[in-house]
Amino acid sequence: MEYIVETRGLTKRYSGKEVVKDVDLKVPRSCVYGFMGPNGAGKSTTLKMLLGLIHISDGQVAIGGEKVNRKNRIAILKSTGSLIESPSYYGHLTGRENLEIVQTLKKVSGKEIDQVLKLVRMEEQQNKKVREYSLGMKQRLGLAEALLGNPSLLILDEPTNGLDPAGIQEIRELIRELPRRMGMTVLVSSHLLGEMDQMADYVGIINHGQLIFQDKLEALHEHSRDNLRLRVMNQTAALHILKREGISCALKEGDLELPRLADDETAQLIGRLCEGGAGVYRVEEKQKSLEEIFLSLTGRRGSL
Amino acid sequence: MLGEWKTEWMKVRHRKIALIPAAFLLFTFLWLSWAAGSVHMESAEDGWLWLLMCLGLVNTILVPTMAAMLASRLCDVELKGNTLKLLCTMERKGRLFDMKLLTGASYLSVYVAAELVMMVAFGRMHHFAGEITLRLLVCFLLQSGLVSLGVLLLQMMLSLFSANQILPLAVGLAGSFLGLFSWFMQSPFWRPVVWAYYNLLGYIGQDWDVESRIVSYYEVPMDRQALIIFLIALPVGYVLGRRLFIRRTPGCG
Repeated sequence: MEYIVETRGLTKRYSGKEVVKDVDLKVPRSCVYGFMGPNGAGKSTTLKMLLGLIHISDGQVAIGGEKVNRKNRIAILKSTGSLIESPSYYGHLTGRENLEIVQTLKKVSGKEIDQVLKLVRMEEQQNKKVREYSLGMKQRLGLAEALLGNPSLLILDEPTNGLDPAGIQEIRELIRELPRRMGMTVLVSSHLLGEMDQMADYVGIINHGQLIFQDKLEALHEHSRDNLRLRVMNQTAALHILKREGISCALKEGDLELPRLADDETAQLIGRLCEGGAGVYRVEEKQKSLEEIFLSLTGRRGSL
Repeated sequence: MLGEWKTEWMKVRHRKIALIPAAFLLFTFLWLSWAAGSVHMESAEDGWLWLLMCLGLVNTILVPTMAAMLASRLCDVELKGNTLKLLCTMERKGRLFDMKLLTGASYLSVYVAAELVMMVAFGRMHHFAGEITLRLLVCFLLQSGLVSLGVLLLQMMLSLFSANQILPLAVGLAGSFLGLFSWFMQSPFWRPVVWAYYNLLGYIGQDWDVESRIVSYYEVPMDRQALIIFLIALPVGYVLGRRLFIRRTPGCG
Protein backbone atom coordinates (compact mmCIF):
# COMPACT_ATOMS: atom_id res chain seq x y z
CA MET A 1 0.00 0.00 0.00
CA GLU A 2 1.16 3.53 -0.76
CA TYR A 3 1.36 5.82 2.22
CA ILE A 4 1.24 9.60 1.99
CA VAL A 5 2.66 9.90 5.50
CA GLU A 6 5.05 7.37 6.92
CA THR A 7 7.13 7.76 10.04
CA ARG A 8 9.78 5.46 11.42
CA GLY A 9 10.73 5.42 15.07
CA LEU A 10 9.44 8.96 15.54
CA THR A 11 10.49 10.09 19.01
CA LYS A 12 10.36 13.35 20.93
CA ARG A 13 12.13 13.94 24.19
CA TYR A 14 11.71 16.94 26.48
CA SER A 15 14.43 17.17 29.14
CA GLY A 16 15.21 13.48 28.69
CA LYS A 17 11.57 12.43 29.06
CA GLU A 18 10.04 10.72 26.03
CA VAL A 19 6.65 12.20 25.20
CA VAL A 20 6.43 10.41 21.84
CA LYS A 21 8.13 7.01 21.58
CA ASP A 22 9.00 5.10 18.43
CA VAL A 23 5.86 5.99 16.51
CA ASP A 24 5.52 4.29 13.11
CA LEU A 25 2.61 6.09 11.54
CA LYS A 26 1.30 4.86 8.18
CA VAL A 27 -1.33 7.03 6.55
CA PRO A 28 -2.74 5.66 3.27
CA ARG A 29 -3.58 8.03 0.40
CA SER A 30 -7.03 9.55 -0.18
CA CYS A 31 -8.60 8.57 3.10
CA VAL A 32 -9.52 10.10 6.43
CA TYR A 33 -7.05 8.90 9.04
CA GLY A 34 -8.22 9.46 12.59
CA PHE A 35 -5.42 9.96 15.06
CA MET A 36 -6.86 9.31 18.49
CA GLY A 37 -5.67 9.43 22.03
CA PRO A 38 -6.42 11.00 25.38
CA ASN A 39 -5.33 14.54 26.18
CA GLY A 40 -1.57 14.65 26.67
CA ALA A 41 -1.02 11.36 24.82
CA GLY A 42 1.28 12.98 22.25
CA LYS A 43 -1.12 13.64 19.34
CA SER A 44 -0.28 17.33 18.84
CA THR A 45 3.44 16.70 19.40
CA THR A 46 3.41 14.01 16.70
CA LEU A 47 1.53 16.26 14.26
CA LYS A 48 3.90 19.15 14.98
CA MET A 49 6.85 16.89 14.25
CA LEU A 50 5.29 15.91 10.91
CA LEU A 51 5.08 19.60 10.03
CA GLY A 52 8.57 20.37 11.27
CA LEU A 53 7.26 22.82 13.84
CA ILE A 54 9.30 21.09 16.53
CA HIS A 55 12.56 19.25 16.25
CA ILE A 56 12.51 15.47 16.05
CA SER A 57 14.62 13.80 18.72
CA ASP A 58 14.84 10.52 16.80
CA GLY A 59 13.33 8.83 13.77
CA GLN A 60 12.23 10.12 10.41
CA VAL A 61 9.22 11.41 8.54
CA ALA A 62 8.34 10.84 4.89
CA ILE A 63 5.55 12.77 3.20
CA GLY A 64 4.46 11.76 -0.29
CA GLY A 65 7.25 9.20 -0.33
CA GLU A 66 9.95 11.81 0.24
CA LYS A 67 11.98 11.96 3.43
CA VAL A 68 11.53 15.32 5.09
CA ASN A 69 14.67 17.19 6.03
CA ARG A 70 15.58 20.77 6.84
CA LYS A 71 16.27 21.61 3.20
CA ASN A 72 13.15 20.21 1.53
CA ARG A 73 10.70 20.75 4.41
CA ILE A 74 9.02 23.88 3.06
CA ALA A 75 8.87 22.52 -0.51
CA ILE A 76 7.17 19.34 0.73
CA LEU A 77 4.84 21.21 3.05
CA LYS A 78 3.64 23.38 0.14
CA SER A 79 1.43 20.45 -0.78
CA THR A 80 -0.04 20.23 2.73
CA GLY A 81 -2.48 22.27 4.74
CA SER A 82 -2.65 22.30 8.50
CA LEU A 83 -4.67 23.47 11.45
CA ILE A 84 -2.82 22.76 14.66
CA GLU A 85 -4.47 23.30 18.07
CA SER A 86 -6.11 26.74 17.91
CA PRO A 87 -6.65 28.59 14.61
CA SER A 88 -4.04 31.13 13.48
CA TYR A 89 -5.25 34.55 12.42
CA TYR A 90 -4.54 38.29 12.29
CA GLY A 91 -7.36 39.76 14.34
CA HIS A 92 -7.04 43.28 12.93
CA LEU A 93 -7.52 42.01 9.36
CA THR A 94 -10.64 40.68 7.69
CA GLY A 95 -11.10 36.99 6.96
CA ARG A 96 -10.39 37.62 3.29
CA GLU A 97 -7.22 39.61 4.06
CA ASN A 98 -6.03 36.71 6.24
CA LEU A 99 -6.58 34.32 3.37
CA GLU A 100 -4.74 36.67 0.99
CA ILE A 101 -1.64 36.38 3.20
CA VAL A 102 -1.74 32.58 3.08
CA GLN A 103 -2.49 32.69 -0.65
CA THR A 104 0.57 34.89 -1.26
CA LEU A 105 2.82 32.62 0.81
CA LYS A 106 1.51 29.47 -0.88
CA LYS A 107 1.78 31.20 -4.27
CA VAL A 108 -1.66 30.10 -5.41
CA SER A 109 -4.26 31.88 -7.51
CA GLY A 110 -6.47 34.50 -5.86
CA LYS A 111 -9.52 32.71 -7.26
CA GLU A 112 -8.97 29.92 -4.77
CA ILE A 113 -9.91 32.26 -1.94
CA ASP A 114 -13.51 32.36 -3.19
CA GLN A 115 -13.54 28.59 -3.55
CA VAL A 116 -12.38 27.87 -0.01
CA LEU A 117 -14.67 30.54 1.42
CA LYS A 118 -17.56 28.78 -0.27
CA LEU A 119 -16.36 25.40 0.93
CA VAL A 120 -16.34 26.45 4.59
CA ARG A 121 -19.46 28.62 4.14
CA MET A 122 -17.86 31.89 5.10
CA GLU A 123 -18.67 34.06 2.10
CA GLU A 124 -20.83 36.46 4.07
CA GLN A 125 -18.35 36.97 6.91
CA GLN A 126 -15.25 37.39 4.71
CA ASN A 127 -15.09 41.17 5.07
CA LYS A 128 -15.53 41.23 8.83
CA LYS A 129 -12.52 41.73 11.12
CA VAL A 130 -11.44 38.34 12.47
CA ARG A 131 -11.28 39.61 16.07
CA GLU A 132 -15.07 39.95 15.82
CA TYR A 133 -15.48 36.29 14.81
CA SER A 134 -16.77 33.61 17.16
CA LEU A 135 -14.41 30.71 17.95
CA GLY A 136 -16.33 28.58 15.49
CA MET A 137 -15.84 31.13 12.72
CA LYS A 138 -12.13 31.36 13.52
CA GLN A 139 -11.96 27.57 13.29
CA ARG A 140 -13.60 27.71 9.86
CA LEU A 141 -11.13 30.39 8.78
CA GLY A 142 -8.29 28.12 9.95
CA LEU A 143 -9.75 25.33 7.88
CA ALA A 144 -10.06 27.64 4.85
CA GLU A 145 -6.40 28.62 5.26
CA ALA A 146 -5.45 24.94 5.37
CA LEU A 147 -7.51 24.18 2.26
CA LEU A 148 -5.92 26.94 0.16
CA GLY A 149 -3.77 25.53 -2.61
CA ASN A 150 -5.78 22.31 -2.83
CA PRO A 151 -3.25 20.35 -0.72
CA SER A 152 -2.88 16.62 -1.16
CA LEU A 153 -2.53 16.22 2.61
CA LEU A 154 -4.54 18.03 5.26
CA ILE A 155 -3.39 17.79 8.89
CA LEU A 156 -6.06 18.86 11.36
CA ASP A 157 -5.60 18.83 15.12
CA GLU A 158 -8.96 18.60 16.89
CA PRO A 159 -10.72 20.77 14.26
CA THR A 160 -14.14 20.62 15.90
CA ASN A 161 -12.95 22.18 19.17
CA GLY A 162 -15.10 25.15 20.11
CA LEU A 163 -17.75 24.55 17.47
CA ASP A 164 -21.46 24.35 18.18
CA PRO A 165 -23.22 21.03 17.40
CA ALA A 166 -24.35 22.21 13.95
CA GLY A 167 -20.83 23.45 13.17
CA ILE A 168 -19.31 20.16 14.36
CA GLN A 169 -21.59 18.20 12.04
CA GLU A 170 -20.80 20.52 9.11
CA ILE A 171 -17.03 20.21 9.59
CA ARG A 172 -17.28 16.42 9.94
CA GLU A 173 -19.23 16.21 6.70
CA LEU A 174 -16.71 18.45 4.97
CA ILE A 175 -13.79 16.32 6.19
CA ARG A 176 -15.63 13.18 5.13
CA GLU A 177 -16.16 14.58 1.61
CA LEU A 178 -12.62 15.85 0.99
CA PRO A 179 -11.01 12.55 -0.08
CA ARG A 180 -13.86 11.82 -2.49
CA ARG A 181 -14.38 15.33 -3.88
CA MET A 182 -10.82 16.56 -4.01
CA GLY A 183 -8.68 13.47 -3.61
CA MET A 184 -7.16 14.78 -0.39
CA THR A 185 -5.85 12.73 2.48
CA VAL A 186 -7.01 14.03 5.84
CA LEU A 187 -5.04 13.25 8.98
CA VAL A 188 -7.30 14.39 11.78
CA SER A 189 -6.75 14.07 15.50
CA SER A 190 -9.42 13.78 18.16
CA HIS A 191 -9.99 12.29 21.56
CA LEU A 192 -13.56 11.35 20.69
CA LEU A 193 -14.23 7.86 19.44
CA GLY A 194 -17.74 8.81 18.29
CA GLU A 195 -16.28 11.58 16.15
CA MET A 196 -13.88 9.17 14.47
CA ASP A 197 -16.69 6.74 13.85
CA GLN A 198 -18.36 9.34 11.67
CA MET A 199 -15.29 10.45 9.76
CA ALA A 200 -12.39 8.04 9.65
CA ASP A 201 -11.50 5.19 7.32
CA TYR A 202 -8.33 4.36 9.23
CA VAL A 203 -7.44 5.01 12.84
CA GLY A 204 -4.30 5.23 14.88
CA ILE A 205 -4.42 5.31 18.67
CA ILE A 206 -1.66 6.84 20.71
CA ASN A 207 -1.37 6.50 24.45
CA HIS A 208 1.46 7.71 26.69
CA GLY A 209 3.36 8.61 23.50
CA GLN A 210 3.15 5.11 21.99
CA LEU A 211 1.10 4.05 19.01
CA ILE A 212 -0.93 1.17 20.39
CA PHE A 213 -3.25 0.57 17.47
CA GLN A 214 -3.25 1.36 13.76
CA ASP A 215 -5.62 -0.19 11.26
CA LYS A 216 -8.94 0.23 9.47
CA LEU A 217 -11.86 1.55 11.48
CA GLU A 218 -13.62 -1.80 11.19
CA ALA A 219 -10.68 -3.47 12.91
CA LEU A 220 -11.07 -1.06 15.82
CA HIS A 221 -14.72 -1.95 16.03
CA GLU A 222 -13.67 -5.52 16.68
CA HIS A 223 -12.18 -4.18 19.90
CA SER A 224 -14.98 -1.80 20.66
CA ARG A 225 -18.06 -3.96 20.12
CA ASP A 226 -21.03 -2.57 21.96
CA ASN A 227 -22.10 -4.24 25.18
CA LEU A 228 -25.59 -4.95 26.34
CA ARG A 229 -26.68 -3.45 29.64
CA LEU A 230 -29.57 -4.86 31.63
CA ARG A 231 -31.26 -3.40 34.68
CA VAL A 232 -33.29 -5.97 36.57
CA MET A 233 -35.44 -6.19 39.73
CA ASN A 234 -33.84 -9.44 40.89
CA GLN A 235 -30.13 -9.67 40.15
CA THR A 236 -29.66 -13.06 41.82
CA ALA A 237 -32.26 -14.66 39.58
CA ALA A 238 -30.83 -12.92 36.53
CA LEU A 239 -27.29 -14.06 37.30
CA HIS A 240 -28.51 -17.61 37.78
CA ILE A 241 -30.27 -17.62 34.39
CA LEU A 242 -27.26 -16.05 32.61
CA LYS A 243 -24.93 -18.64 34.13
CA ARG A 244 -27.26 -21.40 33.01
CA GLU A 245 -27.32 -19.95 29.48
CA GLY A 246 -23.52 -19.73 29.44
CA ILE A 247 -23.44 -15.97 28.92
CA SER A 248 -20.65 -14.09 30.68
CA CYS A 249 -21.61 -10.94 32.49
CA ALA A 250 -20.17 -8.28 34.75
CA LEU A 251 -21.75 -6.00 37.31
CA LYS A 252 -21.24 -2.33 36.36
CA GLU A 253 -22.80 0.66 38.10
CA GLY A 254 -25.62 -1.57 39.34
CA ASP A 255 -26.30 -2.94 35.85
CA LEU A 256 -25.51 -6.30 34.31
CA GLU A 257 -23.18 -5.91 31.35
CA LEU A 258 -23.20 -8.66 28.73
CA PRO A 259 -21.39 -8.99 25.43
CA ARG A 260 -23.45 -7.87 22.45
CA LEU A 261 -25.75 -10.60 21.13
CA ALA A 262 -27.56 -11.01 17.85
CA ASP A 263 -31.09 -9.56 17.84
CA ASP A 264 -32.87 -12.93 18.02
CA GLU A 265 -30.56 -14.13 20.81
CA THR A 266 -31.27 -10.93 22.74
CA ALA A 267 -35.01 -11.42 22.34
CA GLN A 268 -34.79 -15.03 23.57
CA LEU A 269 -32.62 -14.09 26.54
CA ILE A 270 -34.97 -11.29 27.64
CA GLY A 271 -37.89 -13.71 27.40
CA ARG A 272 -36.11 -16.23 29.61
CA LEU A 273 -35.11 -13.60 32.15
CA CYS A 274 -38.72 -12.40 32.39
CA GLU A 275 -40.04 -15.95 32.72
CA GLY A 276 -37.42 -16.67 35.39
CA GLY A 277 -38.61 -13.73 37.51
CA ALA A 278 -35.59 -11.46 36.96
CA GLY A 279 -37.90 -8.50 36.28
CA VAL A 280 -36.14 -6.81 33.40
CA TYR A 281 -37.07 -3.11 33.27
CA ARG A 282 -34.27 -1.61 31.13
CA VAL A 283 -32.24 -2.94 28.20
CA GLU A 284 -29.70 -0.72 26.47
CA GLU A 285 -26.70 -0.94 24.19
CA LYS A 286 -23.58 0.52 25.72
CA GLN A 287 -20.72 1.52 23.43
CA LYS A 288 -17.26 0.97 24.83
CA SER A 289 -15.56 4.17 25.83
CA LEU A 290 -12.13 5.00 24.50
CA GLU A 291 -10.80 4.14 27.94
CA GLU A 292 -12.35 0.71 27.73
CA ILE A 293 -10.91 0.20 24.26
CA PHE A 294 -7.51 1.16 25.65
CA LEU A 295 -8.06 -1.41 28.32
CA SER A 296 -8.87 -4.09 25.78
CA LEU A 297 -5.95 -3.04 23.58
CA THR A 298 -3.33 -2.64 26.25
CA GLY A 299 -4.65 -4.66 29.13
CA ARG A 300 -4.21 -1.68 31.42
CA ARG A 301 -6.30 1.29 32.27
CA GLY A 302 -5.44 4.46 30.33
CA SER A 303 -6.34 7.79 31.80
CA LEU A 304 -8.41 10.05 29.55
CA MET B 1 11.34 36.13 -1.23
CA LEU B 2 9.26 38.95 -2.72
CA GLY B 3 6.07 37.14 -1.71
CA GLU B 4 7.29 36.81 1.86
CA TRP B 5 8.36 40.47 1.91
CA LYS B 6 4.94 41.46 0.53
CA THR B 7 3.08 39.51 3.22
CA GLU B 8 4.90 41.44 5.97
CA TRP B 9 3.29 44.63 4.63
CA MET B 10 -0.06 42.88 4.23
CA LYS B 11 0.07 41.87 7.87
CA VAL B 12 0.49 45.43 9.14
CA ARG B 13 -2.42 46.88 7.12
CA HIS B 14 -4.75 49.02 9.26
CA ARG B 15 -2.15 49.14 12.06
CA LYS B 16 -1.04 52.71 11.24
CA ILE B 17 2.56 51.87 12.18
CA ALA B 18 3.92 54.79 10.12
CA LEU B 19 2.33 57.12 12.67
CA ILE B 20 4.94 56.05 15.24
CA PRO B 21 8.03 57.38 13.38
CA ALA B 22 5.98 60.34 12.15
CA ALA B 23 5.07 61.31 15.72
CA PHE B 24 8.65 60.89 16.91
CA LEU B 25 9.92 62.98 14.00
CA LEU B 26 7.49 65.75 14.84
CA PHE B 27 8.55 65.58 18.47
CA THR B 28 12.24 65.77 17.43
CA PHE B 29 11.52 68.82 15.30
CA LEU B 30 9.70 70.57 18.14
CA TRP B 31 12.52 69.70 20.55
CA LEU B 32 15.18 71.07 18.20
CA SER B 33 13.12 74.22 17.60
CA TRP B 34 12.83 74.77 21.33
CA ALA B 35 16.55 74.10 21.80
CA ALA B 36 17.44 76.49 18.95
CA GLY B 37 15.32 79.19 20.59
CA SER B 38 17.12 78.87 23.91
CA VAL B 39 20.67 79.24 22.54
CA HIS B 40 22.26 82.30 20.98
CA MET B 41 23.09 81.65 17.41
CA GLU B 42 25.97 84.11 17.19
CA SER B 43 28.18 81.34 15.99
CA ALA B 44 26.10 80.29 12.98
CA GLU B 45 29.18 78.68 11.52
CA ASP B 46 28.90 76.14 14.38
CA GLY B 47 25.23 75.66 13.59
CA TRP B 48 25.49 72.36 11.73
CA LEU B 49 27.72 70.91 14.40
CA TRP B 50 25.35 72.07 17.12
CA LEU B 51 22.44 70.54 15.21
CA LEU B 52 24.19 67.19 14.68
CA MET B 53 25.20 67.11 18.35
CA CYS B 54 21.63 67.85 19.44
CA LEU B 55 20.19 65.29 17.06
CA GLY B 56 22.56 62.63 18.39
CA LEU B 57 21.39 63.35 21.92
CA VAL B 58 17.72 63.50 20.98
CA ASN B 59 18.04 60.20 19.10
CA THR B 60 19.68 58.62 22.16
CA ILE B 61 16.57 59.49 24.14
CA LEU B 62 13.82 58.92 21.57
CA VAL B 63 14.93 56.20 19.16
CA PRO B 64 15.14 53.31 21.70
CA THR B 65 11.56 54.00 22.75
CA MET B 66 10.48 54.34 19.14
CA ALA B 67 12.28 51.11 18.18
CA ALA B 68 10.56 49.30 21.07
CA MET B 69 7.14 50.52 19.91
CA LEU B 70 7.91 49.70 16.29
CA ALA B 71 9.15 46.19 17.07
CA SER B 72 6.23 45.56 19.36
CA ARG B 73 3.66 46.61 16.73
CA LEU B 74 5.35 44.46 14.08
CA CYS B 75 5.76 41.34 16.20
CA ASP B 76 2.69 41.22 18.42
CA VAL B 77 0.45 40.50 15.40
CA GLU B 78 2.09 37.07 15.23
CA LEU B 79 1.84 36.36 18.94
CA LYS B 80 -1.74 37.58 19.42
CA GLY B 81 -3.10 35.40 16.63
CA ASN B 82 -0.80 32.44 17.22
CA THR B 83 0.27 32.63 13.59
CA LEU B 84 3.88 31.45 13.78
CA LYS B 85 2.90 27.77 13.70
CA LEU B 86 0.98 28.43 10.49
CA LEU B 87 3.66 30.62 8.89
CA CYS B 88 6.42 28.14 9.67
CA THR B 89 4.75 25.53 7.46
CA MET B 90 4.93 27.91 4.48
CA GLU B 91 8.02 30.00 5.12
CA ARG B 92 11.48 29.21 6.46
CA LYS B 93 11.82 30.37 10.05
CA GLY B 94 15.05 32.20 9.28
CA ARG B 95 13.44 33.97 6.31
CA LEU B 96 10.52 35.03 8.49
CA PHE B 97 12.95 36.53 11.00
CA ASP B 98 14.79 38.35 8.20
CA MET B 99 11.59 39.74 6.72
CA LYS B 100 10.44 41.03 10.11
CA LEU B 101 13.77 42.72 10.69
CA LEU B 102 13.78 44.13 7.18
CA THR B 103 10.32 45.61 7.67
CA GLY B 104 11.41 47.28 10.91
CA ALA B 105 14.62 48.45 9.27
CA SER B 106 12.60 49.96 6.42
CA TYR B 107 10.65 52.12 8.83
CA LEU B 108 13.91 53.04 10.55
CA SER B 109 15.62 53.94 7.26
CA VAL B 110 12.75 56.21 6.28
CA TYR B 111 12.95 57.78 9.75
CA VAL B 112 16.70 58.45 9.48
CA ALA B 113 16.28 59.78 5.93
CA ALA B 114 13.46 62.05 7.11
CA GLU B 115 15.71 63.27 9.92
CA LEU B 116 18.36 64.17 7.37
CA VAL B 117 15.85 66.13 5.30
CA MET B 118 14.54 67.79 8.43
CA MET B 119 18.09 68.65 9.49
CA VAL B 120 18.90 70.34 6.17
CA ALA B 121 15.59 72.24 6.23
CA PHE B 122 16.22 73.25 9.83
CA GLY B 123 19.72 74.50 9.00
CA ARG B 124 18.42 76.56 6.08
CA MET B 125 15.65 78.00 8.24
CA HIS B 126 18.22 79.20 10.78
CA HIS B 127 20.71 80.35 8.11
CA PHE B 128 23.56 78.11 9.24
CA ALA B 129 26.78 78.89 7.45
CA GLY B 130 28.29 76.41 5.01
CA GLU B 131 27.08 72.92 4.22
CA ILE B 132 27.20 69.56 5.97
CA THR B 133 30.36 67.78 4.87
CA LEU B 134 30.33 64.20 3.58
CA ARG B 135 32.30 63.13 6.65
CA LEU B 136 29.65 64.53 8.98
CA LEU B 137 26.94 62.83 6.94
CA VAL B 138 28.65 59.43 7.14
CA CYS B 139 29.25 59.90 10.87
CA PHE B 140 25.60 60.79 11.39
CA LEU B 141 24.49 57.67 9.49
CA LEU B 142 26.86 55.51 11.52
CA GLN B 143 25.74 57.02 14.80
CA SER B 144 22.02 57.29 14.18
CA GLY B 145 21.44 54.65 11.52
CA LEU B 146 23.71 51.82 12.55
CA VAL B 147 23.20 52.12 16.31
CA SER B 148 19.43 52.40 15.85
CA LEU B 149 19.54 49.21 13.76
CA GLY B 150 21.30 47.43 16.63
CA VAL B 151 18.69 48.72 19.07
CA LEU B 152 15.90 47.60 16.73
CA LEU B 153 17.41 44.12 16.43
CA LEU B 154 17.44 43.77 20.21
CA GLN B 155 13.85 45.02 20.49
CA MET B 156 12.72 42.65 17.73
CA MET B 157 14.16 39.71 19.62
CA LEU B 158 12.48 40.77 22.84
CA SER B 159 9.14 41.38 21.14
CA LEU B 160 9.18 38.07 19.28
CA PHE B 161 9.77 36.13 22.49
CA SER B 162 7.53 38.11 24.86
CA ALA B 163 3.87 37.19 25.10
CA ASN B 164 3.41 40.43 27.05
CA GLN B 165 4.79 43.41 25.18
CA ILE B 166 5.20 45.47 28.37
CA LEU B 167 8.64 43.91 28.95
CA PRO B 168 10.20 44.98 25.62
CA LEU B 169 8.65 48.42 25.98
CA ALA B 170 10.09 48.74 29.49
CA VAL B 171 13.50 47.66 28.16
CA GLY B 172 13.22 50.31 25.43
CA LEU B 173 12.48 53.01 27.99
CA ALA B 174 15.29 51.83 30.25
CA GLY B 175 17.58 51.87 27.20
CA SER B 176 16.70 55.51 26.58
CA PHE B 177 17.78 56.41 30.11
CA LEU B 178 20.94 54.30 29.98
CA GLY B 179 21.90 55.90 26.69
CA LEU B 180 21.31 59.36 28.13
CA PHE B 181 23.44 58.63 31.22
CA SER B 182 26.26 57.50 28.96
CA TRP B 183 26.54 61.06 27.61
CA PHE B 184 27.31 62.41 31.06
CA MET B 185 29.33 59.58 32.62
CA GLN B 186 32.35 58.50 30.61
CA SER B 187 33.32 54.97 31.54
CA PRO B 188 34.49 51.74 29.85
CA PHE B 189 31.45 50.18 31.52
CA TRP B 190 29.34 51.44 28.60
CA ARG B 191 31.06 49.30 25.96
CA PRO B 192 28.65 46.33 26.32
CA VAL B 193 25.57 48.61 26.44
CA VAL B 194 24.03 48.97 22.98
CA TRP B 195 22.21 52.24 23.77
CA ALA B 196 25.44 53.90 24.86
CA TYR B 197 26.83 53.70 21.33
CA TYR B 198 24.98 56.86 20.34
CA ASN B 199 27.51 58.57 22.63
CA LEU B 200 30.45 56.22 22.09
CA LEU B 201 30.24 56.86 18.34
CA GLY B 202 30.06 60.60 18.91
CA TYR B 203 31.99 62.75 16.43
CA ILE B 204 31.46 66.26 17.75
CA GLY B 205 33.16 67.82 20.76
CA GLN B 206 32.24 70.97 22.62
CA ASP B 207 34.00 73.63 24.70
CA TRP B 208 32.25 75.65 27.31
CA ASP B 209 33.89 79.01 27.89
CA VAL B 210 32.91 80.05 31.41
CA GLU B 211 33.74 83.74 30.96
CA SER B 212 32.02 84.37 27.67
CA ARG B 213 29.38 81.68 28.42
CA ILE B 214 29.70 80.49 24.84
CA VAL B 215 29.79 76.87 23.76
CA SER B 216 31.85 76.13 20.69
CA TYR B 217 31.57 72.89 18.73
CA TYR B 218 34.27 71.08 16.81
CA GLU B 219 34.73 67.80 14.99
CA VAL B 220 36.49 64.97 16.80
CA PRO B 221 37.54 61.61 15.36
CA MET B 222 35.08 58.81 16.01
CA ASP B 223 36.22 56.21 18.54
CA ARG B 224 37.51 53.54 16.15
CA GLN B 225 37.64 50.85 18.80
CA ALA B 226 33.98 51.43 19.65
CA LEU B 227 33.09 51.44 15.95
CA ILE B 228 34.89 48.14 15.34
CA ILE B 229 33.25 46.55 18.38
CA PHE B 230 29.85 47.65 17.14
CA LEU B 231 30.50 46.56 13.55
CA ILE B 232 31.41 43.09 14.85
CA ALA B 233 28.65 42.90 17.47
CA LEU B 234 25.84 43.82 15.07
CA PRO B 235 26.20 40.87 12.63
CA VAL B 236 27.04 38.52 15.52
CA GLY B 237 23.86 39.66 17.31
CA TYR B 238 21.90 39.14 14.11
CA VAL B 239 23.23 35.61 13.56
CA LEU B 240 22.64 34.63 17.20
CA GLY B 241 19.16 36.15 17.24
CA ARG B 242 18.21 34.44 13.99
CA ARG B 243 19.54 31.11 15.23
CA LEU B 244 17.66 31.43 18.50
CA PHE B 245 14.46 32.22 16.61
CA ILE B 246 14.92 29.18 14.35
CA ARG B 247 15.55 26.88 17.30
CA ARG B 248 12.88 28.23 19.60
CA THR B 249 10.18 29.77 17.46
CA PRO B 250 7.43 30.81 19.89
CA GLY B 251 4.24 28.77 19.47
CA CYS B 252 6.11 25.95 17.78
CA GLY B 253 7.54 24.36 20.92
